[in-house]
Amino acid sequence: MNELIRLENITKSFDENVVLNGIDLTVGENEFVTLLGPSGCGKTTTLRIIGGFEQPDSGIVYFDGQDITTLPANQRNINTVFQNYALFPHMNVGENIAFGLRVSGKSDAYIKDKIKYALKLVNLKGYENRRIDQLSGGQQQRIAMARAIVNEPKVLLLDEPLGALDLKLRQEMQYELVRLKKELGITFIYVTHDQEEALTMSDKVVVMNEGYIQQEGTPEEIYDEPINAFVADFIGDSNILSGKMVDERVVEINGIQFPCIDGTEQGFPPKKRVDVVIRPEDIEIRPYGKGLFNGTIISKLFIGVHYEMLVQSEDGKIEWLLQNYDQHDVGAKIGMYVRPENIQIMHKPKSEAESAMEIDL
Amino acid sequence: MKRLGKIYILIIMLFLYLPILTLMVLSFNEAKSMAVFTRFSLHWYAELFQSKLMLGAIVNTFSIAILAALIATIVGTMAVLGIDAMKPRTENVLLAANNIPMLNADIVTGIALMLFFLMIGVPRGYCTILFSHATFCIPYVILSVRPRLNKNTDKLYEAALDLGASEKYAFRKIVLPELWPGISSGFLLSFTMSVDDFIITYFTRGAGINTISTLIYSEVKIGIRPSLFALSTIIFVVALVTLIIVNYKQNKADKMAA
Repeated sequence: MNELIRLENITKSFDENVVLNGIDLTVGENEFVTLLGPSGCGKTTTLRIIGGFEQPDSGIVYFDGQDITTLPANQRNINTVFQNYALFPHMNVGENIAFGLRVSGKSDAYIKDKIKYALKLVNLKGYENRRIDQLSGGQQQRIAMARAIVNEPKVLLLDEPLGALDLKLRQEMQYELVRLKKELGITFIYVTHDQEEALTMSDKVVVMNEGYIQQEGTPEEIYDEPINAFVADFIGDSNILSGKMVDERVVEINGIQFPCIDGTEQGFPPKKRVDVVIRPEDIEIRPYGKGLFNGTIISKLFIGVHYEMLVQSEDGKIEWLLQNYDQHDVGAKIGMYVRPENIQIMHKPKSEAESAMEIDL
Repeated sequence: MKRLGKIYILIIMLFLYLPILTLMVLSFNEAKSMAVFTRFSLHWYAELFQSKLMLGAIVNTFSIAILAALIATIVGTMAVLGIDAMKPRTENVLLAANNIPMLNADIVTGIALMLFFLMIGVPRGYCTILFSHATFCIPYVILSVRPRLNKNTDKLYEAALDLGASEKYAFRKIVLPELWPGISSGFLLSFTMSVDDFIITYFTRGAGINTISTLIYSEVKIGIRPSLFALSTIIFVVALVTLIIVNYKQNKADKMAA
């Protein structure tokens, strides 16, 4: 994949508040990259630096191999779909879409064709003369997309574009966005705090917190092999526990030994203290005494597809979160088993950058 | 109960409008009397438009009002743009400072301006009135334009830049239309404030120059003539018609938006 955008050691602070702590990021051509993190993690600032709305304190932004760090926003071949859309309220839909084209001095005939094409692309044929306040939230979102893409940017930046929509519409628009991306064949850089959105749409997810990039990878990598407790906790439900390696490929959690697939080769030699992530759907229920460890179900919740259960360990020290299709009664004593490949071993945070990720577990 | 309510409203309306109605009726009175209506006549209107003094005052009043409103609108709008770009702390201090002249008593403002002109040795006349009016109108323009410039406007401006617009083009095509309702209401407010003003004008005018309000004041001393009723009637009707037009337009805009 050809590299299109590269951020090199970007730092940014507002007054005393450090927002970005040396961000290095590469975005390939035609890639769908999502910056994911809680509010205040620096994801929007990163996007604004790429768009040219903020200047980094230090570091370089490369676009197509060229240094564009100081290039103003209106000279970058990048367009943005803003949070809350920022559609021009005193113009109708057609005029909104035409804005970028008029600025670049395109002919009226060309503009007319382009408006038609863009409206068709976002499934709003014939909406040229509608006023902005006559549109629903979802329609406004589509017009914001149309307004950005008629300029044929190489990169489209999307700043939480689905944040203001209701759940059903949001899910619909996720498919729409992926379809649009395929049809246009351009690069998308997407900012969101919604992990589901990030996992569904992206080629690459970049998890950020406190101005650091925590982990970069495909959605599968991020979900299955979170690099630390923050990522594990932010991406989906999980059991995050303190443990200790006791042997090659054996980790001890709360006095119970679990076979796993990580050892010295992966950087986890015996006696090393580690964090362990076990996804709730990976804990299998066995008859009492037939698993690796036992517990008592203390609560049960039906959440659509499956049941979510809290299971207290026999010594009462740990509560395990389980997800299972089968129903078990509260108070039942059960055995539990986890396959070695489903036990994800992580380093404990130690450096400043890593301790930024520390969260209340 | 319902009836009582209607009667109550009627009484309030009478209190508000009966005096004006009296004035309008008397402006068509043939006699000079302020008590007895003898016969319908346009005599006082004729006198009004023949009096050089009166015509001069009318021209002064409206030309000062338009010019002062224009100056105040331009300066005030620029001030809003400048203040918006400042740090929140400075912004708050400046906006608080902006409120003080509006709360200040006119008499204080008037005397202060007069002293100021005396001190720097500017002869008082048309220009000093104009300057004073523009000065006291600026805070009102700032007050009415300021709320239009908010986070949303900043976002729209950024969106325009994002689409390739130059800063000037983005301001002209996107920001200015957003501010426009505030700018026009600031202008109208300034205009009416200027027409209305008596105290500040009184202290900052020179000898031999009058606006409608100062002229009426000086006439009162020698006995009011019904031509002043005629003038007041015209001013009232003009204000009424303007109001109706503005309301009609507003209604139409609201209906379009609904």
